[in-house]
Amino acid sequence: MATLAGAPVGRERRIFSFTWLWNALAHGYVWAWLGVFALPFLATLAYSLRTPDGVWTLSAYQYVFGSFKENLLLSVQTTIITIILNLLISIPAAYAIVRAPIPGKSFLLSALNLSLYTPAAVMGVSLVIAYAFLFGIPQTMTGLIAAYVVGTFPLMLVPIIVALRDLPLMFEEAARTLGATRMQSFFRIELPLLGPGISAGILLTFVIVFNEFLVTLFIAGPGTTTAALRVYNLTRTAGFQPSTAALATTMQLVSFVVVLLFFRFFGSRYLKGTYLI
Amino acid sequence: MKNPDAYPMTHAPADVALEYQVAEEPVRQSFASPRMRGFMLLAPAVTVAVLFSLIPLAYLFQVSLTNDSSFFFTAEYTVNNYLEVANRYRSAILETVYLAGMSSILDLVFGYPFAYILIRKIRYREFVRTMMTFPLFGPLYLAFGLFYILLPNGPLGGLFAGLGINVTKYLFSQGAVLFSMAVFTFPFMVMNIGAALSNVDPMLEEAARTLGAKPWQTFVRVLFPLSWSGIIAGFLMCFGWNLGVFAQPQLLGSPKEQSVISLQMFLKGLVQFNYGLAAALGVVLMVMAFLVTWVSLRFSRGALGA
Repeated sequence: MATLAGAPVGRERRIFSFTWLWNALAHGYVWAWLGVFALPFLATLAYSLRTPDGVWTLSAYQYVFGSFKENLLLSVQTTIITIILNLLISIPAAYAIVRAPIPGKSFLLSALNLSLYTPAAVMGVSLVIAYAFLFGIPQTMTGLIAAYVVGTFPLMLVPIIVALRDLPLMFEEAARTLGATRMQSFFRIELPLLGPGISAGILLTFVIVFNEFLVTLFIAGPGTTTAALRVYNLTRTAGFQPSTAALATTMQLVSFVVVLLFFRFFGSRYLKGTYLI
Repeated sequence: MKNPDAYPMTHAPADVALEYQVAEEPVRQSFASPRMRGFMLLAPAVTVAVLFSLIPLAYLFQVSLTNDSSFFFTAEYTVNNYLEVANRYRSAILETVYLAGMSSILDLVFGYPFAYILIRKIRYREFVRTMMTFPLFGPLYLAFGLFYILLPNGPLGGLFAGLGINVTKYLFSQGAVLFSMAVFTFPFMVMNIGAALSNVDPMLEEAARTLGAKPWQTFVRVLFPLSWSGIIAGFLMCFGWNLGVFAQPQLLGSPKEQSVISLQMFLKGLVQFNYGLAAALGVVLMVMAFLVTWVSLRFSRGALGA
């Protein structure tokens, strides 16, 4: 609706208007960028399906479920555990930040978000030092999960805070007035209403943790190589192989399917507070 | 006029909720005061943040003041690491800042029109959002895909040859690194500017046009001042993320781009076991990232503005 009302009077009389051209250019611009976003993925996909001789084949994918299976399983495992821990940490914290009368909330929120703004390499080196010197968990899965949790629980926290702020107090009050305990009103009334916000947090945690390779590169050991780190290692050591491309394609495809499902069921409203997607 | 997207339609306005604040203190007395309960609910999050974020960062600072990897044996305290960073790694710091700044400027120049079109003209916004998650899957896959595209017999080799462009010369160049960095942070820029633009009433633009302003005048005098906070927040967010850039220079860059701080930290710490120097580089990078974040939180008016 490019403003017929706003256009100068003289231009309306012309048979050939530039409005449609503008609109076509605008949409074309957006589509061009969408192409840029998808292009690296499509190129990786094409590379994984082709042998050096130019034959199209699915044979590279046998490695994904062969020698890369352990890495994929580890990735799925760590991601799921991280999501569960993030939920257990973030839901009470979000509730306290929105509803409890505690002083210095904005400072507290910034302090909790600190790890989100720490560059991954800094986090990696500092965790290597702390794991070796203080905690005694270098190169273990515990160490990996701890790093993922501290790095991504703010991504869970923010959408839940947004959702909780959008939720009027009267639902809780109605439940309490009708005799529900604090626990009952939270688990039976508020938690279901917070569903979309919580799933936005799950989505962000999943996308980031499942594809994380940089912090992992610093703290993982031989037995704890996640699939994303395996992609990185293979690019460094084996060069650009179709099997590496197949693993990278699988990772992106899984991530994209999860994103698609999320947008299909919840839309993007609750992702807004994070400014990521 | 409020943008329907920014305010969910499902709940009542805030003043309605006020009328219902009746039960001040519940009948059943709880075992802790509301404030105490708040602290208890926060305890897990604070514990995790202290154990795995604050304490490691404190260690990082301590290690940055020790010689080589002596921290793990008998710590020898020294400031030589910072002197070395100031002397030998000044160009690396400048390169990092340059790459992050340039890619953020690219994001701003190309992202502003994108955000404007997305907010004002496009109805299939959810679809665009979905497609925009591809860069978010990580710079590693992005760099991997781009590497293949730039290879001589890449998937678009025929197209580029037909257009007479030699893309292979961009492999291992600054251009490729900047491009991949800009694509990675593009969605962050679009989302920040889009959030600011969706709060700008389209009637204001129409009013400016009706009053005789040319499109560029409408932009400079109306749109730009009203979306200023989004521009600053988006720019700083992109800049902050790009300061920690690692995979793109390593896969697509020349040795000059490969001098970025994150990559040097990895080489010094995990390859050469010079933890002191790696930690000092880390402290410098962290200070830069936190300064950027601090300024950007001043400007962002979103959910985090508690």
